[in-house]
Amino acid sequence: MSKNQSRWHCSESRLYDNSNGISRRDLLRNTGGGLGAIALAMMATESETRSASVESNPTGTPGILKGVLHHPPKASRVIELFMAGAASHLDLFDYKPELQRRNGQESNFGESVEAFQNGLGPWLAPVWKFGQYGQSGQYLSEAVSAFAPVADEITFVHNMVGKTGIHSQATLLQTTGFSLPGFPSAGSWISYGLGSMNDNLPTFVVMPDHRGLASNGTKNWDSGFLPGQYSGTVTYPGQPNPIANLQADERYRGRFSSDSEADALRLMAHINRTHASQRPEDSRLDARIRGYELAARMQLAAPEALDLSKEAQHTLKLYGLDHIPSTYPSEINALEETQVFSRKCLTARRLIERGVRFVQIWSGNDNGFPRRNWDSHEDVKRDHGPLARGMAHGASALIQDLKQRGLLDDTIVLWSTEFGRMPSSQGGLGRDHNPYCFTTWMAGGGIKGGLKYGPSDDFGYKPADRDKPTMIYDVHATLLHLLGIDHKKLTYRNNGIDRRLTDVHGHVIREILA
Amino acid sequence: MMKPALNSTMIGCLFILQGIASGDDSNIKQSSQLFRDVVAPSFEKACLSCHNESKSRGGLSLATKSGLLKGSENGPVFEIGKPDESRILEVLLGDKPEMPKKAKPLDPTIIMSVSEWIRTGAVWPDSIKLADKSEGVEIKPLWSLQPVQNQKIPELPQSHQNWRINAIDNFIAKDHISFGFKPTPEADRRTLVRRLYFDLTGLPPMPEDVENFQGNTHPKAYEKLVDHLLATPAYGERWARHWLDIVHYGETHGYDKDKPRPNAWPYRDYVISAFNQDKPYAKFIQEQIAGDVLFPESSDAVKALGLLAAGPWDFIGHAEVPESKIDGKIARHLDRDDMVGTTVGSLMSLTIQCAQCHDHKFDPLLQTDYYRLQAVFAAVDRADKPYYDSPQQQLRYNHLQHQKLAVQRRLPILEQVIRVAGGPKLAQIEERIALTKQSVSQKDHPQYGYHSQIASDQKEVKWVQLDFDNPEKIQKIVISPSSDNFNNIGPGFGFPLRYRVEISDGKGIDDNKIAVADFTSKDLINPGIKPQVIETPSGKGVRHIRVTATKLAPRQNDFIFSLSEITVLDDKGQNISKKAKLTALDSIESPVRWQIKNLSDGIAPALLSDYETNTLKLSELEKSKTELIRQSVSSKVIEERNQVANELQFIESQLKSLPKSEMVYAGTVHHGSGAFAGTGSNGGMPRSIFKLPRGDVKNPMEKVGPGAIKVLKFAPSEFQFEDTDDESKRRAALADWLTHRDNPLFWRSIVNRVWQYHFGRGIVDPPGDFGHMGGTPSHPELLDYLATTFRDTGGSLKALHRQIVTSATYRQQSTGPEEFAQRDSNNIHLWRQNRRKLEAEAVRDSLLAVSGQLDYKMGGPSFKDFVVQQPEHSPHYEYHLANPDDPAAHRRSIYRFIVRSQPQPFLTAMDCADPSIRVDKRNESVSAAAALAQWNHGLVLALSEHLGRRIQSISVKDTASKVRWAFQQCLSRQPSTDELQLLTSYAEKHGFDKLARLLLNLNEFSFVD
Repeated sequence: MSKNQSRWHCSESRLYDNSNGISRRDLLRNTGGGLGAIALAMMATESETRSASVESNPTGTPGILKGVLHHPPKASRVIELFMAGAASHLDLFDYKPELQRRNGQESNFGESVEAFQNGLGPWLAPVWKFGQYGQSGQYLSEAVSAFAPVADEITFVHNMVGKTGIHSQATLLQTTGFSLPGFPSAGSWISYGLGSMNDNLPTFVVMPDHRGLASNGTKNWDSGFLPGQYSGTVTYPGQPNPIANLQADERYRGRFSSDSEADALRLMAHINRTHASQRPEDSRLDARIRGYELAARMQLAAPEALDLSKEAQHTLKLYGLDHIPSTYPSEINALEETQVFSRKCLTARRLIERGVRFVQIWSGNDNGFPRRNWDSHEDVKRDHGPLARGMAHGASALIQDLKQRGLLDDTIVLWSTEFGRMPSSQGGLGRDHNPYCFTTWMAGGGIKGGLKYGPSDDFGYKPADRDKPTMIYDVHATLLHLLGIDHKKLTYRNNGIDRRLTDVHGHVIREILA
Repeated sequence: MMKPALNSTMIGCLFILQGIASGDDSNIKQSSQLFRDVVAPSFEKACLSCHNESKSRGGLSLATKSGLLKGSENGPVFEIGKPDESRILEVLLGDKPEMPKKAKPLDPTIIMSVSEWIRTGAVWPDSIKLADKSEGVEIKPLWSLQPVQNQKIPELPQSHQNWRINAIDNFIAKDHISFGFKPTPEADRRTLVRRLYFDLTGLPPMPEDVENFQGNTHPKAYEKLVDHLLATPAYGERWARHWLDIVHYGETHGYDKDKPRPNAWPYRDYVISAFNQDKPYAKFIQEQIAGDVLFPESSDAVKALGLLAAGPWDFIGHAEVPESKIDGKIARHLDRDDMVGTTVGSLMSLTIQCAQCHDHKFDPLLQTDYYRLQAVFAAVDRADKPYYDSPQQQLRYNHLQHQKLAVQRRLPILEQVIRVAGGPKLAQIEERIALTKQSVSQKDHPQYGYHSQIASDQKEVKWVQLDFDNPEKIQKIVISPSSDNFNNIGPGFGFPLRYRVEISDGKGIDDNKIAVADFTSKDLINPGIKPQVIETPSGKGVRHIRVTATKLAPRQNDFIFSLSEITVLDDKGQNISKKAKLTALDSIESPVRWQIKNLSDGIAPALLSDYETNTLKLSELEKSKTELIRQSVSSKVIEERNQVANELQFIESQLKSLPKSEMVYAGTVHHGSGAFAGTGSNGGMPRSIFKLPRGDVKNPMEKVGPGAIKVLKFAPSEFQFEDTDDESKRRAALADWLTHRDNPLFWRSIVNRVWQYHFGRGIVDPPGDFGHMGGTPSHPELLDYLATTFRDTGGSLKALHRQIVTSATYRQQSTGPEEFAQRDSNNIHLWRQNRRKLEAEAVRDSLLAVSGQLDYKMGGPSFKDFVVQQPEHSPHYEYHLANPDDPAAHRRSIYRFIVRSQPQPFLTAMDCADPSIRVDKRNESVSAAAALAQWNHGLVLALSEHLGRRIQSISVKDTASKVRWAFQQCLSRQPSTDELQLLTSYAEKHGFDKLARLLLNLNEFSFVD
C-alpha cells in the first residue's frame, strides 16, 4: 500500500470521525466483525497512523511529525494556567458539604496519613460559600464565582493524584511528567511534535508570575533533552523588556539606529551566504542565517502581539482592564491580582491568534513569605483570596473571549496546580499539602464541558475510587490526543530510552471528550 | 498480504469441550482454533524463552493457562473477552513494541489473532503446556560487554602508505578501502591552527599565532604546536568543561529554593588540574569515587569527591522532610539514583538507571545490579567536606575521621546489649522518659511565639516593640525564649546572641529612650527556655519597650530573632503586656505557630504549667535509669561503653585541635541534625538498601548488599570485604571494580568520548549508551585499539589527544566530494573532518578573547554574572541586573557560577549544558533566541565597544587596514577583496563598534572548519 494513498490530509479528515476508531486500541475495542476485516483495517491503520496529515497552515515550521498527525485533531493549541504552591481544591472547585458539617471536629482519616507539615488538625470547612452555576450546576466557591458564565465550558477532574507533597517534585511532575529535573515540559513536547504555526513568534510562550519564578525556576518549561528551540520563551507583558534580547540591551540601545541595524543584517547575510556556499554540505550554516531572519521578524511581530492598546473597550472591560489605577495598595489585593493575571490572559489570546502553539501562565512565585503563592499553610482565606479572585476573573474572561471569537473550539484551556490541600487544618486557618487528591480542569477544544469527572471522596482526601485515580499522565495523554497525537508515539531517544511525555503510563480520558 | 489464519476443517473436538460457560458455540470454536493454529505456536516461538515455568521474567509464565491467568508481577495481563483491557496486546503493539524482547515484532495478523482469541473466550486447554521453541531466534550478544581485544594494526596497500601518519589512519583507511571512500586532503594551515586551538584550548588563536605557525617550516611544526597547546593551562580548562557536562556539575542545588553551594568550586579546580597534570585516568576516577580511602594523604582526592555531589539535590526532600517519611525516602532514593547514574552510568556508558523499576528491558542489567550499586552509596549524602592542603594534616584528619566513625558504629551495638540486659524495666523507664519529654514539649500549645524574617547576615539588627499608648508604671520586664526543634535547635530557639532592652515614655521610642538592659558587647550563652528578668527603674512611666537583637541566632545557614513571650509586670505585679500594641521590624506571620501577637498570649515554654514539674520528673527518671543499668548490666559492658564513649571524646578533641580546614561540597558521610541528619551520628553506617518493585519505596523487597553488574564476569559482582559497615570500603571496592583492567566498558567509554570531542561524533554514537538501544561502533577495531593502547600506556589522556590530533584522519579538510556525501551524509566513514559549531562557552570565551577583555586568572571561587535577590528563602538569580561590562565577570566560562533553576540565559540560548542532566553531547539547536542573544545581549554589545576601541586605537591609520586587522583578530584569516570593501564602507558609515558586533556575529566566528 503506498503511503500517499492513505495520507489523512486536512481536507479528508472529515472522513474520520473519532468514534470510528483510529488508534489500534480503539480498533480492537470497536470492531466486532470477523478477523479478516479487523486485520485488514488494522494493517491499513499501521501505515495511516504514520501519515495522518492535518496541518495545512502555509506558514510556520512543521514539527517532528512533519505536519502529519496520528489522527485528526480536535484542537491545535493550548493555554495552561498553573497555580504555583498548590491551590486548594476544597476551597475553590470541589465542594465538600461533609467538611461543612464536621468543621472543627477532630479529623480522622481512617488510616495513618503522612502530611508534609504534620497538618492533621481538625476538619476545616471550605473557607468560602459554594454555589451552583450554569445548566450543568457546577459548584464554584465564592472566590472563583467569576467562572459562573463559563461553568458549562469547564470539565473538572476531581480525582487527580500526585506522587509527593514536595513542591519542586510535584511541580515538575505536572509540567514535565517526571519528578526530577531534566525532562522536557509538555509545551516543549507539543512544540517538538507539532511545530510552529507562525514564522515570526515563538511556538511556546511562558508568562511567569511577575514576582518571581516558582519552584524549579525555568526548568518547568525547559526543553530538557529536546533541542533548545523547544524551550518556552519567557515573556513579561507590560514590562519594559518583555522578551530577553528582543532589542539591544537597554544600556547600549541608543547607539544603534534602524539604519545601522538594517545595513548590518544585510551585510552579515551576504558574508554568511558566501561562506555557506563554499560549504554546501552543512545545513547548519543556512539554518543559522534563517535564525537571524526569524529574529528580525520577531522584533517586529512580538511588540505588536503584546500591545493591548488596540483592544476594544468591551474586551478590556471583560478582563477588568478598563480602569487601571496609577498605583495599587502595597498589600496584596484582588484588583491588582486581577489586572496582572488578566493582562497575561488577554496577551495569551493575542498570541494564540497569531499562531503561538502553547502558552503557559503562572500564578504564584516561590513558596516564601509573605505568601504570594497558593501555599496556604497559615490562612487559606487570607492567602488564597486575592490570588483566586484575580485568577478567576482573568481565566473566565479568557474563556469567554476565546468563545466569542470562535477560538475556543480548537484551543484547550488547562488549569493545573502542584497538588491539593488537606481537608484538615494545621491547627489554624491553613491547610497542609495533599498530594493524594486534587483538582485540575480543562475547557475548550474537544472537551465536553459542564462535567465533573472522577469524584473525590466525601472529604476530598483521596479519590472516591482509590483504584482509579487520574494522574498527570492521563491529562497529558488526553491533551496530546486532542491535538492529534498518540502519546505513545511521540518519542525522543535519549540515553538509550525512547522517552515520552507520559513515561510508560497514561490513558486518554475518553469520558471527557466531546 | 494476509495469511489464512484459520483452517475451518481442522477444528478438534477437544477444544470444544473447553468452552467458557457464557460463550456461544461459534466463539468457542473460533477461540480453540485460534489457540491451536496461531496463539500457541506464536507464544512458543516468541515468548516462552523468557516466560516459561522455570524462568518467568517479570513474574509471568506463558507455559500454561493458569500462568497466563495469574499475570505478571505488575498484575493481570489480560481479561477474557476484553482485548482492549488486555495488557498482553498492548505490549505487542506499536512501531517498536515492548515485546517480544528477543525476537522480531509479531506480525500484525498474529496480534489480531491473539486479540480475537481473547475476545472469543481465550480457550486454552489445561492439558496443554507450551514449551520454548525459539531456536533459530538469534539473541545478539551485546558488543560492548565483550572483552576489549588487542588489535593488530591493519596492513595497507602501497597506495595508502603516503597518506597515513599513525595507526589510527590504518584503521580508517582500511574502512575507506572496504567501502570505496578516499580521504579528503589535509586542511590548510590556517584551518589546522584554528581547529587545534579550539579543540585543545577552547580559545581562538591570535593572529600572530596563526602567522607563526604558517611561517614555520619545521617538519614537526604541527606536532610541536600540539605539544605546546596540550601544555597550556587552557587545555585543562577546555577539557574540564567537557567533563563537567558529563557529570552535570552545578553550583546550586536545583529544585525548590535552589540554594547556592559556595564550596562546589574546589571540585571544578580539581578537574582542571587533573587534566593539566595528565593524571592517569584510572587514578582520576578512583579519586572521584573513593579518594579519601585510597589516597588518604591527598587533599586532591577529597576535592575529587565533588563528583558524587555534582548533580542536583532536593533541599526540601532532605532538609525539611526526615528519612522516616515517604517523601524523605523518595528524595534519598532519587539522590542515590543520581550517584549511580553519575558514576557507573557515565563512566561505563550504560543506562543502568533503567534497571531501577525492573530488570533492564533491553540490556542484560539486573534490578539487583542497580540496587547493589545504590548500596555502595548508602551512607553517603551531599554536604561540605573538610580538606587540608597539607598532606600531613589531610592524612591525620582522614585517619581520625575514619577512627571516629568506627567508634561511633560500636556505640549502638553496646547500647543494644544494655537494652537487652535492662529488659522490660529499662524499656518502661525509657518509655516514661519519652512521654515526659513529650509533655514538656509544646504539643498542646502550638503558639510558639514571634519569629523574625530570615537574615543571611548575623549582624542584621532586628527588633520587637510594645506600645502602651500611655505611660504605665512598671517594675519588671520578663523575656521568655522560644523553643522549636527545627534543625534540632530546641530550647532557646532564635534567642539573640546579643541584645538590648530600651524603654521610653515619649510619643516615639526615641523620645527619652533609656536602655534598661544592654548585652551587646559580647556573645551570651543561650539561656535555653529560662525567662530573663529585667528590672526597670521605679517611678518612671513607660510607654514603649523595645527589644533589639544586635547579633542574631543561627538557624540553618542563616539567622533569626525569636522570642516566645514578653511579660510586663506593673507596680501591682499584674501582667499588662496584653494591653500593648505589638510591632516589629519584620515578622514571619505564620499562625498559629509564629505570629507577633503570640508575644503577649501568656504562652511560653517556661510558663507552661507542667513545665517545671516535668523537668524535675525527667531528671529523676534519668537518675533511676542510670541506677537500673548499673544493677542489671554487667560492669564489663558498662565499662566498655564508657570506654568507647571516652575514646570518641578523645578523637573528637583531636579533631578539634586540627587547624581550620577548607571545604568542598562533596559526597560524604554527613554529620547533620534535624531532618537532614545523615549517617554521621551512626558512624556512617550504611542505610539498608532494598530492591524496590517499580522503584516504589513503600514496598521494599529483599535487602541488597554493595556490588556491581553481574553480567560482567571480570570480577565478582557482590563486593567481598571484611567490614561491610565501613562505607568507605564499599566505595573503594566500586572504584577498583570500575577501573579494573578488564572492564571493557570503562576503557571503551572514555576513548570514545575523547574521540567525539575531536570529531564531533563518537565511534559509538550516542556516547552515553553502549546498550542494545544505543549505537554500535562504526570502527570496532579502532575503538578497541584506542582502548587497549590508552589503558596499557598508563591512561594518559594527553597521549590519546596527541595520537588523535596528529593523525591524517584528523587533519583532513571538512568539506569533501559531493559523491561521498550522497552515500554517507553523516560522514560515518570519516572521509573528511567534521565542521564544528562552537559550544556556548567557546563562543563566550572567544568574544572575550578577541575583544581583549578576557581575564585569564585561573581557579578559585566562581564569578557571578547575576545579582541575587531575596537570598533568605528562594534566592532569585537576576542576570539582567548584572553589569555586562563588569571585568570581574570577564573570566573564562568554566569559572562561571552555575545556577540550576535559572540557567544563564545567554549561554543557554547557545545550548550550553543543562546542569540538571548529564550531557554526553551538546544539542545544536537553531533558534531566534540564539540569534537575538548574540546580536543584542549586553555582553556582546559591551565587548563590541571594547573591540571597536581597539580597532580605533591600533597604529594603522586607514580604515581598510583597521578592518583587515579586526577581521584577522576575529576569524584568523585575511578578508577577501569583496569582504574588505563591504566591511570598510560599513565601518566608515557606522563606526568600529558596529563593525565589531557584526564580525562577532558572523557564522564563521561560531564555526570551525
